[in-house]
Amino acid sequence: MDGVVSYRKRRGVEAFMLGFSILLAMAGYLLTHLNRDASLPPLWPVALIALGGIGVGLHLVIRWRIPYADPLILPLVMLLNGLGLAMIHRLDLDDSRAPHSAELQLTWLFVAAAACIAVIIFLRDYRVLQRYPYLLFLAGMTLLMLPMVPGLGLEKNGAQIWIHLGNYSFQPAELAKLVLTIAFASYLVEKREVLALAGGRVLGLDLPRPRDLGPILVMWLVSLAVLVFQKDLGTSLLFFGLFVVMLYVATEKPSWPILGTAMFGAGAFGAYLMFGHVQTRVSAWLDPFSDYDRNYQVIQAQFGIAWGGIFGTGWGLGRPNITPLAKTDFIAAALGEEIGITGLIAIVMIYAVIVARGLRAALGAKDPFGKLLAAGLAFVFAIQVFAIIGGVTRLLPLTGLTTPFMSQGGSSLVTNWIMIGLLLVITHQVRRPAAVVAAMPMASLEGDTTELIDVSPLMATPRPAAPPELLNPEGSPDDKTGQLPTIDADQLNGPIPATRPISTSDETAEIARPDQDEATTWDATDSEARP
Amino acid sequence: MSDLVVLGLKLGFLALLWLFIAFVANVIRTDLFGRKVPAAELAQASFEAASAPGKPQRISRKVGKQLPTVLKVTHGPQAGKVLPLAGGVLIGRAADCQLILDDDYVSTHHARIALSSDGYQVDDLGSTNGTFINNERLSATTPFGLGDTLRIGRTMMSVEK
Repeated sequence: MDGVVSYRKRRGVEAFMLGFSILLAMAGYLLTHLNRDASLPPLWPVALIALGGIGVGLHLVIRWRIPYADPLILPLVMLLNGLGLAMIHRLDLDDSRAPHSAELQLTWLFVAAAACIAVIIFLRDYRVLQRYPYLLFLAGMTLLMLPMVPGLGLEKNGAQIWIHLGNYSFQPAELAKLVLTIAFASYLVEKREVLALAGGRVLGLDLPRPRDLGPILVMWLVSLAVLVFQKDLGTSLLFFGLFVVMLYVATEKPSWPILGTAMFGAGAFGAYLMFGHVQTRVSAWLDPFSDYDRNYQVIQAQFGIAWGGIFGTGWGLGRPNITPLAKTDFIAAALGEEIGITGLIAIVMIYAVIVARGLRAALGAKDPFGKLLAAGLAFVFAIQVFAIIGGVTRLLPLTGLTTPFMSQGGSSLVTNWIMIGLLLVITHQVRRPAAVVAAMPMASLEGDTTELIDVSPLMATPRPAAPPELLNPEGSPDDKTGQLPTIDADQLNGPIPATRPISTSDETAEIARPDQDEATTWDATDSEARP
Repeated sequence: MSDLVVLGLKLGFLALLWLFIAFVANVIRTDLFGRKVPAAELAQASFEAASAPGKPQRISRKVGKQLPTVLKVTHGPQAGKVLPLAGGVLIGRAADCQLILDDDYVSTHHARIALSSDGYQVDDLGSTNGTFINNERLSATTPFGLGDTLRIGRTMMSVEK
């Protein structure tokens, strides 16, 4: 044996990168004030202590509970959060109507970090989440549909995706994306073999059997309902895309994403023909200047990014406030204006690295649930960033998704941090060396040959058939490391047949004959009984 | 502030941002393949030493003065489990054992690790499939020191300080 490959903890690297990310966020904040008033803001040590406190708190909890977690995820997320906060603060300076959204967002960041810490402390074994796929599915669907309930739903900025509880408004779809990712992962762990079965072959594609199309049809209808009734293209794209991607990861069948894309394309085209608000979005995407007033927001975002150019105007020196909703949906445009396309590409890179680290954890995960959950969480971030930054830069029609960690909004921030907590827990389990050892084959027994006992004399006397679960106690029949068949006690006591092949050494002869403290049944017809 | 300073700060910020990404890339690069686990961490060395006969005895004598304190399961379904030696450990399938191995190849009371004047020793309690130290089946009480590997059924164990 060459030894076992494992990963270093690298908590020192994490601490260093965390410090670097907080430095960058503070630089954005301080540069804004330096560029505008040539002096530092009086409260900057408070901001540094707040950000540093969150960073140190999370870092210490990770050191304590999940020391093998991925060292990059936390610094990257902190950097995005910090830059988002700096930009929201910068937008506050020119916003007389809501001049304290950065402080509010910082409060939410405390809540979100506390939620992440709670996940890390109380959920070290993420597999408990696997237990209730259908309940979670139902809960996720309910959350998704909640804004359609009359009296509870709230229409804001043309999309009915809010509910209001007392004085607070809340986006249930944000929580739904977490709940549904877990539900999809646990559902697909159970069903992936069935869904991977090929039905007919059409145009060189293995299509699934028609009766296995049920789940994808349900998701398609729900996505269409969200698109039509809540007027929210982004949420509908996010959930359907997530489901299709996870189906693909689970089954490894390219027919699922092709089918999914075709279904979503058909549904979206149908919605385009039938509903005015979808047509508005598409025209704002393909030809924004046809109606300057209606597409004002998209046009201003384009002007902002163009004005920023390659290196940007500098923190605090642009005019990102002209774009409506610059703090939420269009924060990418505001950043593109002030730190330029160089900075915007850096931000997209950081998102890409977070997604890559999630997929890396999925590749390394030993259990299928961890694999699917990590891949699903990574894709939730990927789809959101692709849809919103693609929408802001007019690569895609604009969708009302949040920019994870950056845009203003409490429900999104808390959910995203909980997802990061889950991802960290999974990476800890993946990178921990003990998990590698446990997954190794039993080295000492692997080379041993199993002694064969001739059972033909025993087969003459009829025996009651063993219950099926005893024939194949764990795993598939060809599972080498699974339990070896055990021998009934009365067989051992009886005469050993003379034709018994003698094995090469005493050790193997002994090892293949299990001790019998409890009577377990080994049926003579074992091999025939297997499917 | 002068335009030149503003420009310098702006470019400096972007340079730092990309330096951050370069650091991230470097962390990913050095993290790509993991590394070989050192002996102490997984008791891997003791397992490898067991395949080269003669060697483990010498190692155990060198450090033999200090007594080990814990028994660590290195391979098998319970890999990673650590329990105190504390004078002696009874290993088997029965509920009154300190280390319960749920394995068809393990007897009810399989083996006992006990402290003697020369350090810890292993006694086979008449098991069916035997107890192995460094892949040799026990026929009498055998010393069990640092660097030795004890195998019972599918489980491998070593002692550590």
